[in-house]
Amino acid sequence: MPKPLILCIDDEALGLQIRQTVLERAGYRVITAMDGPTGLSIFAAECVDAVVLDYSMPRMNGVDVAVEMRRLRREVPILLLSAYVNLPPEVTGIVDLTILKGDGPDILLAKVREVLPAPPDSIVGEG
Amino acid sequence: MNLREFRGILRQALYFPILLLLLLAGFFLIQIRISSVLLRAIVHSDKITNQVDDLEKLILDQETSLRGYELTHDSAMLAPCTAAKAPIQVDFKELRGLLTGDDAQEQRLAVLSDRYQLWLGLAQRILAKDPSLANDSKVYQRGEKMMDAIRSIVNEMLHEEETRRQRLSEQTPDLEHRQFVQILSASLCIAMAVALFMRQRLRKVSRSYTSALDELEQRSSEVHQSRQWFQTTLESIGDAVISCDIRGRVEFLNAIASGLTGWTMQDALGRPLTEVFQIVREDTREPAENPVDTVLRLKKAVSVPEHTMLISRAGGEFVIDDSAAPVVDAHGEMTGVVLVFRDVTEQRRSQAALIAGEKLAVAGRLAASIAHEIHNPLDSVANLLFLLRDEEDPAKRAEYLQMAEQELGRTMQISRTMLSLYREPKAPVPVDLKDLIEGVLLLLERRIAQQQIQVVSELRDSCIVEGFPAELRQVVTNVLVNGIEAAGAQGRMRIRLEPAPPEEFRGAGAIIEVADDGPGITDAAAQKIFQPFFTTKGEQGTGLGLWVSMGIVQKHGGTIRLQNCGQMEYTGACARIYLPAKTLAGADRPVVVHAN
Repeated sequence: MPKPLILCIDDEALGLQIRQTVLERAGYRVITAMDGPTGLSIFAAECVDAVVLDYSMPRMNGVDVAVEMRRLRREVPILLLSAYVNLPPEVTGIVDLTILKGDGPDILLAKVREVLPAPPDSIVGEG
Repeated sequence: MNLREFRGILRQALYFPILLLLLLAGFFLIQIRISSVLLRAIVHSDKITNQVDDLEKLILDQETSLRGYELTHDSAMLAPCTAAKAPIQVDFKELRGLLTGDDAQEQRLAVLSDRYQLWLGLAQRILAKDPSLANDSKVYQRGEKMMDAIRSIVNEMLHEEETRRQRLSEQTPDLEHRQFVQILSASLCIAMAVALFMRQRLRKVSRSYTSALDELEQRSSEVHQSRQWFQTTLESIGDAVISCDIRGRVEFLNAIASGLTGWTMQDALGRPLTEVFQIVREDTREPAENPVDTVLRLKKAVSVPEHTMLISRAGGEFVIDDSAAPVVDAHGEMTGVVLVFRDVTEQRRSQAALIAGEKLAVAGRLAASIAHEIHNPLDSVANLLFLLRDEEDPAKRAEYLQMAEQELGRTMQISRTMLSLYREPKAPVPVDLKDLIEGVLLLLERRIAQQQIQVVSELRDSCIVEGFPAELRQVVTNVLVNGIEAAGAQGRMRIRLEPAPPEEFRGAGAIIEVADDGPGITDAAAQKIFQPFFTTKGEQGTGLGLWVSMGIVQKHGGTIRLQNCGQMEYTGACARIYLPAKTLAGADRPVVVHAN
């Protein structure tokens, strides 16, 4: 069984790079994009298993991207990362799960696991 | 009735009775004259009678003396005859004078004189022992006859005078009675006339006086009502009112003024205003110039300087807003000064609360950016720590640690900038405006990036001014946020910082200019853009940003202007802030905003 493919979209380069490393450590394959349009083109081209999406981005924000993705393939789970504590329901309603930036990698991985089966050769064991 | 008519009546009331009394006096004089003429005529007649009697007696004496001489031939017997000669001449002369004008008596006197002369001729002939008479036996009889003729004419004269006197005496009681009746009726007539005239005139005066009294009463009632009305009005208005005379002594104060100063109307009346209305400068607590003195000096309305505090009788303190104006009478003469003031302590407090609230609103406007700016690096740090836990490669560990430090450094910077919005030194400090603007831009970075606004920063080094950094940061944040909101998505903004040469504005300093390519400012908005609660942002804005910014800039001795740029690239609004290098601001001086 191939490792699940996660698409990570964030305009913060350093944060995106570190998040990629964390998810790869957990046994996922990760593709990154620095903005919404790039992410959408990857989403359309690749067979992505899940999306970790930043909410606040220039030009096209996380919600706009999520709406477009739902239109393309509505079964792909989307996790929305946000620095804001209280997102409005119309935002949280579109995505599967929301994660607060700063919650830490354990929460991130736990939520990813909620929507994806654990990868077979994960370096980090469960729990 | 006017004063002229009244004086006319008074004159008539004086002169008319005098005139009538003069008439009466004239009438009396005529009556007296009539009486005295009658009396004089009687006296005259008596005098003639006496004179005639006297003359007859003298002539008889002469005759008797002559006869005695004839009988005795004693010349001593002739002495009376000789002695009577001169008085007889005198009597004749006097009688002629007394009888002048009375022809009948004058004739009689002439006859008497002739007869006497005839007798006297005979007598002289007898005395001269005329030989022709020696043998005349009838000499004696001739003398007798002559004397009889004299007696007869004398008796005639006396009778005439007697008759005349009788006639005159008979007239007297009649005249007395007539005069009594005439005087009485004349007096009565004049008294009646005076009474009627005075009654008519006095009635007119009385009517006029009554109506004047009524009018006066009505006027007095009107004046009272008007005074009452003014008093009620002055008592009812919300402002404190004190009026004083030209010497600055209190004449009136209303309830509000009474409440603020602690002086009742009774206590304050007539006291010098400086005693009742004690004002000091709010910051220095030095006595402020009394506005009444200023009005008396300048002779025009004045308002007291800002930051004036009223000290009440009990020692209470009120920040007041005050104006004083001269009271001018109908001739344009200044008769006093009226002082109108109000307690603005509450207003000042709510203004301070608004300013503090706006400070929070600025932070609130930044909160979204700040949350993002802090959570992003924190997320990275958390992820890096997670990776470090299991990483054994020292090179990787070092790389992760370095990255974590970098992200923490960023968090620290943001939190410092955030906190410096609140922390404020007590006295003005040198502020590097470039650092300050860059710090604010860092906070707004996310927002600018999100809206893809192209920001051109032209910030010159070493633009250092004295001031309060947090307040200046608030001003810069305000104009930058306004610029961002005006520019909108994919807009353009230019921030410029340059030194201001001493000849420009009010001395050396710095100019911050923020231009955008937004819609600009409409003429209607330009009128009140610096007024509190004016906003073009609907629910988004508090409407206090520029109002507070202006207060802060003014406190620093600077100016802020907002107008349309009219430039090719930046067609929207342009905010231009001038800050002097040396500020006049003191830490204890509050930000007070004056709406234009």
